[in-house]
Amino acid sequence: MYDRFLHKPISRRGMMKSTGAALALGLSPAAAMRIEAMAQEASPSADIAGTSLKILQWSHFVPAYDVWFDAFAQAWGEANDVDVTVDHINTADIPATIAAELSAGEGHDLVEHISSLAQYETSMLDMSDIVAESTNRHGEQLAMTAANTFNPTTGKFYAYCHGYAPDPGNYRKSLWENAGIPDGPNTWAELLEGGASIRSEQGVQLGIGMSNEIDSRMAAQTLLWAYGGSIQDENENVVINSPENVEAVAYMAELFRSSMTEEVFSWNAASNNQLMIAGQASYILNSISAYRTVQDVQPEVADDIFFKTPLEGPAGPDFAKAHGHAVMMYQIPNYSPNTDTAREFLLYLQDNYGEAIVQSKYYNFSAYPSNLPELLEDGGLLDNDEFGSNPPDKLSTLKSANEWTTNLGWPGPANAAMGEIFNLPIIPNMMARAATGLQTPEEAVAQAEEEVTEIFDRWRSEGLIGGGS
Amino acid sequence: MASVEVREIVKQFGENAPAVDHISLTAQDGEFLVLLGPSGCGKTTLLRMIGGLEPPTSGDVVIGNHVVTHLPPRARRIAMVFQSYALYPHMSVHDNIAFPLRAQGTPKAEQEKRINWAASILGLDGLMKRKPRQLSGGQRQRVALARALVREPSVFLLDEPLSNLDAQRRASARDELQQFQRSIGTTTIYVTHDQVEAMGMGDRIAVLNLGTVRQIGTPQEIYDDPADTFVATFLGSPPMNLVERGTMLHGFRPEHFSPAAWHDAANPFERFSFVPHREEYLGAERLIYGEVGDEKVVARFPATTQLDFSIGHPVEFGVATRHMRYFDAESGVRSYETP
Amino acid sequence: MSALTSPSTGETLTWSDDDFEPDGRYLLDNSRLLGPIMLMPAVIYIIGLVGVPFALAIAYAFSDVTVGDQSIDWVGLRNFRDVWGNDTFQRALRNSFMFAIVSQVIVIILANMLAMVLSANFHGKRIVRFLVLLPWTTPIALAVIGWLWTLDNVYSPIDAALRELGLLGPGTMFGPGKNMLWLAKPDLAQLSVLTVHVWRTLPLATVILLAGLAAIPQDVKDAADVDGASFWRQFFYIRVPLLIPIMTVAILYGIVFTFTDMTVVYILTRGGPIDNTQVLASWAFFTGVEASNLAHGAAIALFLFPLLVVVALIMLRVAKRAETV
Repeated sequence: MYDRFLHKPISRRGMMKSTGAALALGLSPAAAMRIEAMAQEASPSADIAGTSLKILQWSHFVPAYDVWFDAFAQAWGEANDVDVTVDHINTADIPATIAAELSAGEGHDLVEHISSLAQYETSMLDMSDIVAESTNRHGEQLAMTAANTFNPTTGKFYAYCHGYAPDPGNYRKSLWENAGIPDGPNTWAELLEGGASIRSEQGVQLGIGMSNEIDSRMAAQTLLWAYGGSIQDENENVVINSPENVEAVAYMAELFRSSMTEEVFSWNAASNNQLMIAGQASYILNSISAYRTVQDVQPEVADDIFFKTPLEGPAGPDFAKAHGHAVMMYQIPNYSPNTDTAREFLLYLQDNYGEAIVQSKYYNFSAYPSNLPELLEDGGLLDNDEFGSNPPDKLSTLKSANEWTTNLGWPGPANAAMGEIFNLPIIPNMMARAATGLQTPEEAVAQAEEEVTEIFDRWRSEGLIGGGS
Repeated sequence: MASVEVREIVKQFGENAPAVDHISLTAQDGEFLVLLGPSGCGKTTLLRMIGGLEPPTSGDVVIGNHVVTHLPPRARRIAMVFQSYALYPHMSVHDNIAFPLRAQGTPKAEQEKRINWAASILGLDGLMKRKPRQLSGGQRQRVALARALVREPSVFLLDEPLSNLDAQRRASARDELQQFQRSIGTTTIYVTHDQVEAMGMGDRIAVLNLGTVRQIGTPQEIYDDPADTFVATFLGSPPMNLVERGTMLHGFRPEHFSPAAWHDAANPFERFSFVPHREEYLGAERLIYGEVGDEKVVARFPATTQLDFSIGHPVEFGVATRHMRYFDAESGVRSYETP
Repeated sequence: MSALTSPSTGETLTWSDDDFEPDGRYLLDNSRLLGPIMLMPAVIYIIGLVGVPFALAIAYAFSDVTVGDQSIDWVGLRNFRDVWGNDTFQRALRNSFMFAIVSQVIVIILANMLAMVLSANFHGKRIVRFLVLLPWTTPIALAVIGWLWTLDNVYSPIDAALRELGLLGPGTMFGPGKNMLWLAKPDLAQLSVLTVHVWRTLPLATVILLAGLAAIPQDVKDAADVDGASFWRQFFYIRVPLLIPIMTVAILYGIVFTFTDMTVVYILTRGGPIDNTQVLASWAFFTGVEASNLAHGAAIALFLFPLLVVVALIMLRVAKRAETV
């Protein structure tokens, strides 16, 4: 048989035991065979036989991906005589776990998180060589993924990004149809108009969180960008206290008052998904993972969920940007005795990333667009979702994701200061203080500036970020 | 002042035999009545029912002319002194004594007057600021009495108040307590298992066993004329000797048991063949332990008396007939006929 | 030389002088040797699990340590200045005291009531005692997850009950919303955290007070009855003063538990809404571990220390007084 991802015939020789295990876990026979074929193709450039590789990574939001990944890693391990272990934990627990392992000076050889952990740079291996090799094999990576992993001040790739998940707007079409905006909002102004109408007429609120969790932080940044503001400039100077940001915060306050309830102050990362599925949120900012889940269990709900590119604000279309919802990057801690093995595995993963994208049901997009060009082509995979979207071209919105997705800290790089800020409630709290009337937008932004400046100053004094002149 | 009466009073805990089984008795106005018995005889339960701390299963408590069975303790005009004294450990002596007065809402000036009065009667003047833990056992006991006294109760209920004192201190406390009671003249019911206290202090003694009153009378009546073998053997140290002859028990006090040769032929006496085994010298007296037939008996002599028999050799002893007491061997009840 | 005939063998028993020679067999009877041996595990435990981390925390707090760079460079008091100047910290400091004090005031009132009820005799007392103790035996993380569901924005069973009773919903006592939003409204979120702390520490306080009540001699209670004291007079003049030492122990335990706890806040609210339930322990964790700033995290955590020292000193005084009575 011919495999369209490997572009060559697959042989049946030597079924390995990991493939059998993968079958038992529910992987399709075709996928299991492809895993095996890929493993046989692997040709490590270093001698890694007899080593081991312990991987710590987040539990993927599309559970099928983890099943595939574990089998994929095992098969590679068996083919190359490497003892591979993969541990998956809740994404929110990853930073604390890495912190504990760095403190202990031992643990996993590869650790994966879904946002930049630049603040761990000093303890992490420089991955420039892997980036160079992947670039050599697959062409240039996305500017966004590079900016999420590279420190221009030290010239170091402290992480290796293999892919990301776009973060589009998700909306319940039926609600927006009733509000007279059948194709969902395109601008923040439309969001306010429609959101308020849906809340007052149909009793369903908007779902943009303002709490101590990752979705709230990403949503807040997207809004600041749309207004032409940002937290830092391209030279890593703090510019949060700008009229644009004050305006954005004022907008959020108005959005809250007209179309949300206090619920949004208590959300965790799953809350907006749950409410969207329950029909209790009209619009949220999130990846397609919840949609994929609900496709299996409540198809009629899935049929009502549609996607939008980032909303346009006063700054115009060039500033309608979103974070990668999950920017998946591996780091190799300095303590790892198996750095060669880790490197080889990452190159191997990138070589076979087309399969990873399919197994994640198009949740994952590659950092190297050449990995599966069919994904984004007109008439390609997203235009005709093989996982049962109705209509089949529902995900076409995501075809432009590489253009509108940007890095943490844009227009600057994803540096240590932004990494720390992104793990604190500073920005959502800034929004929430204004939304609740605790502070004026000006005061809220000024307080956030104080907190952000302290963090930037500290990292600058450590020599890890630029700016400040 | 008031008399205290219990009528057919019963206390049963669960399914057990009654702790107090239909007891009726009266303490006269001003009387010092002792409830004497071994532990578990029901004497403390009886006292607590009189005090209102324990509701009776049936029967009534009458104080003065009022049936108080269903009144709480504070409505009975009683004062109680506990075995442990039950002083409030966090309060000074002064505050302990003041507590019942404050609870009653006695005016401040009146409080102080009464506290000073009770303190001077009981010799507590220098101790008023101390906490109970800084006092000796005797001092604590006097504080407990003072606390009882200030309420000017119509009845004092005392539950083994001397049992926590050492032997020496106890003797003088007996004396003080009795004088104190005589001087204030309040009806007093006093619970003890110590016959010396009972004999020494009580106007009358009620001897209790297994929840019933075995005998009630003056100390002399109880000692000289026990109503049954329980009373006969519970009182006296050593207790009355009992020798079984036929269907009767022949009882006699050790101090009445002496060599037959010492007896005057003019006064009739009963003979016993006594084998002395052991002598116990107690300073003021000596006790001779031995056997009559198979039964152990004791003889008591003043230490100054010269004894003309020797240990291990049988000797004829006798007891004057007027000192002999007879009991039914089966029931243990006193028989007034000479066999 | 003594001689005795063995009752079992009939032989004459003799002892030689050697039998009384001190040798190794009796080493452990020597308390100067045995004492240190028995103490050693505790000493190792305290040094290893208390002393070293504490020294490390102090070292961190005066340095620029982060998760990514754990080399210690001294920065003096900079961390304390930075930390103190942060509004969230100020909030966390106030909340830590507020949660500890308010929850323990409530606990001590409820524990007194519960202990009194539980010391009485009634049918089903053992079951009730068991139920009261249950929260104490539940692992804290599990229990708080249970509370998280109980206080859910949408599916809270409390809300369902309130709606059923006609207390929640349009035109009712608790307002028009379908839900109370326990964890989303600042005052309700604080109340929720307080409630969980009370729920969690009440059993221990109750058990301690029950023991204290049992230790009050029956005679003293009887004496108060006979002396004519009413229920409230007995409660405030006899019971409470006698329970104060043990109540102090219960309160101090509760304060230590609540003051140092981060689980409740971490799971229930993650400090929100808008830092309204942030406490020192959670803020130290978010800053030090999640945001990787170990130095600040250590500095924040060290603010727990003075209060804990005061609590420890009071504990020692109570213990000493208990020994001297």
